[in-house]
Amino acid sequence: MNDQNNNVLEFKDVWKIYQMGDEKINALAGVNLNIRDGSFTSIMGPSGSGKSTLLHVGGILDMPTRGNLLLNGKDTSTLSGKEQATFRRNEIGFVFQRFNLMPQLSALENVLLPMIKPDLEKAKELLDKMGLEGKHNKRPSQLSGGEQQRVSIARALINNPSLILADEPTGELDTKNAEVIMGILQDLNKKEGVTIIIVTHNPLAAEFTDEIIEMRDGNII
Amino acid sequence: MGINSLSFKNLRRRKLRSILTMLGVVIGVTALVVLVGLTTGMTNYMKESTTNMMGDVMIMNSTGGGTIMTQSGSSFLSPEAVDEIKNMPQLYNIKQEVQFLTEFNGTSIYVIGTSDWSQVDINGSTGVVVSTTLADMGYNIGNKITIEGQEFTVTGTFSEGAMGVVVLDSDKALPMNDNKSTSLTANTRGDPEVIKDEVENTVEGITVSTKSDMSKQIDDMMSGLTLFIGGIASIALLVGVISIINIMLVNVTERTREIGVLKAIGFTSREVLGSILLEAALIGFIGGLIGLIVAAILLQLAIMIFSSQIGDIQLAQMLPVWLIAGVLGGATGLSVLAGLYPAWRASRLNVVEALRNE
Repeated sequence: MNDQNNNVLEFKDVWKIYQMGDEKINALAGVNLNIRDGSFTSIMGPSGSGKSTLLHVGGILDMPTRGNLLLNGKDTSTLSGKEQATFRRNEIGFVFQRFNLMPQLSALENVLLPMIKPDLEKAKELLDKMGLEGKHNKRPSQLSGGEQQRVSIARALINNPSLILADEPTGELDTKNAEVIMGILQDLNKKEGVTIIIVTHNPLAAEFTDEIIEMRDGNII
Repeated sequence: MGINSLSFKNLRRRKLRSILTMLGVVIGVTALVVLVGLTTGMTNYMKESTTNMMGDVMIMNSTGGGTIMTQSGSSFLSPEAVDEIKNMPQLYNIKQEVQFLTEFNGTSIYVIGTSDWSQVDINGSTGVVVSTTLADMGYNIGNKITIEGQEFTVTGTFSEGAMGVVVLDSDKALPMNDNKSTSLTANTRGDPEVIKDEVENTVEGITVSTKSDMSKQIDDMMSGLTLFIGGIASIALLVGVISIINIMLVNVTERTREIGVLKAIGFTSREVLGSILLEAALIGFIGGLIGLIVAAILLQLAIMIFSSQIGDIQLAQMLPVWLIAGVLGGATGLSVLAGLYPAWRASRLNVVEALRNE
């Protein structure tokens, strides 16, 4: 039990099976994986290896076909839709490849969006920490890709989640911006102990992480 | 930063689209309010002019006298009944009105005896007023006219279709009709509804109408018309609302990925549903509000243009609170209904698939 207490995320024989026509596709084929509190992990593998599905299941965006997922020791398979949403809001911060900011909101409003009780000071502080001083009121369309991704990291952090899940966070960025983003994530992990999992194709990005997990055909190799 | 403020921002995001969608609601609401407002104003105007004419109660023969078309003698109130009524302490300010047909130069004309000249739009002065039909026959102001063997000097004229009509003071006209009245009006000491029953129970063969009876008769007459006109105008509003369904479906499809993101960062399906419904409700409410303002302006213009024909009528009579509240509530409520299906579709989106959406 002591060992389990250190795990933010536990995959226990997790299967995700999609039906494509007559064919069954095992996106996840019995994954067993523990993510320790404070770890910085990257998941690599070819397209279709199941790494994005692993991230979606880990972030309770998708439910496993079989097997169990424990988040902070709690089995997520029994959660209602509302409880899932609450878990996502409070325990998980998502960073997407394509930033996925709301185009009609300013940077500051985007960061405040997941908060039930908006804390303006905290949002401003986070944006400043991301190096976005003076750009709080800019719309996403007025920001560069690297800046947008930093806004989305601030949004992911706003509710102090147990876990940051990043799906190809550098996928749309040039090398310089990719390094900035990975540097920010590394700092968050090292200085503040935030647990981070990234899915990436980019070996340069993976180098920033402490542990690299390779996936193939729905399982970890 | 709540999800609901997103709804406001979404409206501003595609301004032209939002404005065009609202325009449908604006046109529907304007048509509805102007048409219903006109009939409502007409109803109120008729009620007020009817109830101004009479006192608190109007008393007629129970076989249904009192209209100008009545010809049968049995529809008059007998002098005995009138005396009985005049002796009732509950009634005061009793006025007798009479209308009857008489022979005049080989044709039939109406004689009306009144004690309230304000009901006649006279050219000249009160006393002996003839319709323009008679004036054209040579009985103009200052000329002599003989009715039922009595000679009068014409003091005024008024227009009343093609009919020959002479209006006299009641006390001059009543003896010509054997002192039988068509109707009495009176004020009451106490509740008109109670006194109505007392009078009907005391005097036989009469019917007493109160102001509210008269209002109800006018309401009954006009409500069918209002309903019909309102029904036609509602079709315009319905078309506007249906366009909301269409636009909200487009909006939801266009924002599939955003909805996926909202769910990923912790919003529940219900919250997503609510935000789409709020957006639809805003279109309906704002459209309704603008429609009401446009309608009020049009009605005020109509009042100014037609004031000489319809007399003194106020905007408030055409735009009663129930109409304003009903139209605003109706436009908003229907818009929420229109948003239900698009909102339901949005709330049911699979997060992973929505996030993959281009």
